[in-house]
Amino acid sequence: MSILQDIKNAVRSRSIHVAYVDVGSCNGCDIEVLACLAPRYDIEQYGIYVHNNPREADVLLVIGSVTPQWVDKLRDIWDKIPEPKVAVAIGNCPISGCVYNRRGTLTEPPASKYIPIAAEVPGCPPRPTEILSAILSVAPLIFKDYEER
Amino acid sequence: MRSIIYYIREFLRPEWLKKFFFAKTAPLVTPSYFKGYPTLTDKECTGCFNCMMICPAPGGIEVLRRKDQWVPEIYPGHCIRCGLCVEACEEGVLASGRILDITRRDRTAFRSWYHLEVDDALCMRCGNCCVSCPINKQEDPQLGSSGTSSSDEVIMRIEGGRVRILHEEKCTGCKTCETHCPNSAIRVARMVEGVHEEKEVEA
Ligand code: SF4
Ligand code: SF4
Ligand code: SF4
Ligand code: SF4
Repeated sequence: MSILQDIKNAVRSRSIHVAYVDVGSCNGCDIEVLACLAPRYDIEQYGIYVHNNPREADVLLVIGSVTPQWVDKLRDIWDKIPEPKVAVAIGNCPISGCVYNRRGTLTEPPASKYIPIAAEVPGCPPRPTEILSAILSVAPLIFKDYEER
Repeated sequence: MRSIIYYIREFLRPEWLKKFFFAKTAPLVTPSYFKGYPTLTDKECTGCFNCMMICPAPGGIEVLRRKDQWVPEIYPGHCIRCGLCVEACEEGVLASGRILDITRRDRTAFRSWYHLEVDDALCMRCGNCCVSCPINKQEDPQLGSSGTSSSDEVIMRIEGGRVRILHEEKCTGCKTCETHCPNSAIRVARMVEGVHEEKEVEA
């Protein structure tokens, strides 16, 4: 393994850029993601930065149960993110549709129908610590030695 | 000038440097009262399905038959960790956080019954519901084929050209009437109410 790769690994492990997209949630999970930014959980001490810009993101947090308007647009956002990239489903909604997954509701879960989802954080909403540990555990799997693969 | 030197000296203290560059929030521990996914206790499940019926999340819990016993299974990704199933289970099969302790301390419980409602605008008085109901048949074997009955003990009967509900409390919630109604006029709903048993006054 080259020294250059070592440097890349070290930098990437301390610089994870996150974008989140709400594809039709009740806002509960968005609030928990917000709580991760607050001093109590302090996501930036792990080198995770939330920008909400897919062009510079490494991790996409998908929140919500995919409403019809999002069906064709979720893929667009995913395609805008440069490689290496990873999508994490936050909450029950992108996994199963949660309480909206019943007759007569306008939702098209799961999110994995539209983009590849690498990790799922169940919960309604999940705790900020659960979101944090999911991002931290999935990031090295995707970004470490990316060029060597 | 003195103050600048003072600041530089202050910022070069190893203790300060360490704090500045390696500040970390203490690892957060999950509190013991955190309401996580319900877990199984060692109590035996009777298969009453109270937990499944109260669950607000589609597909959150299923009570499965395993060999010769019933086992409730919780599905993360569906379950919203509301804890209602823990409260609804009379046997105490499920546990989550301190829900069981609190319900025991406050003596709270859920009472449930079935509510029958007939939409007179849709109902065509065929009597299918009264005839198909297994409890009606038990109460009055002579039940007329048009749903009329001379017994006052039946759940419902055709009376005066419409369905009259007499004994809602005998309904078992089987929904046979609902499936036999040609017009979806009759509806069976499970009603749940939280009850609070008064503490006995200690003498
Ligand atoms: S905790 Fe709530 S959502 Fe989860 S299985 Fe029990 S009743 Fe259903
Ligand atoms: S877990 Fe409790 S409520 Fe659910 S079926 Fe078993 S005994 Fe009934
Ligand atoms: S639900 Fe079953 S028991 Fe209740 S009224 Fe209908 S048929 Fe009878
Ligand atoms: S089966 Fe339906 S339409 Fe017929 S009497 Fe009963 S409620 Fe009315």
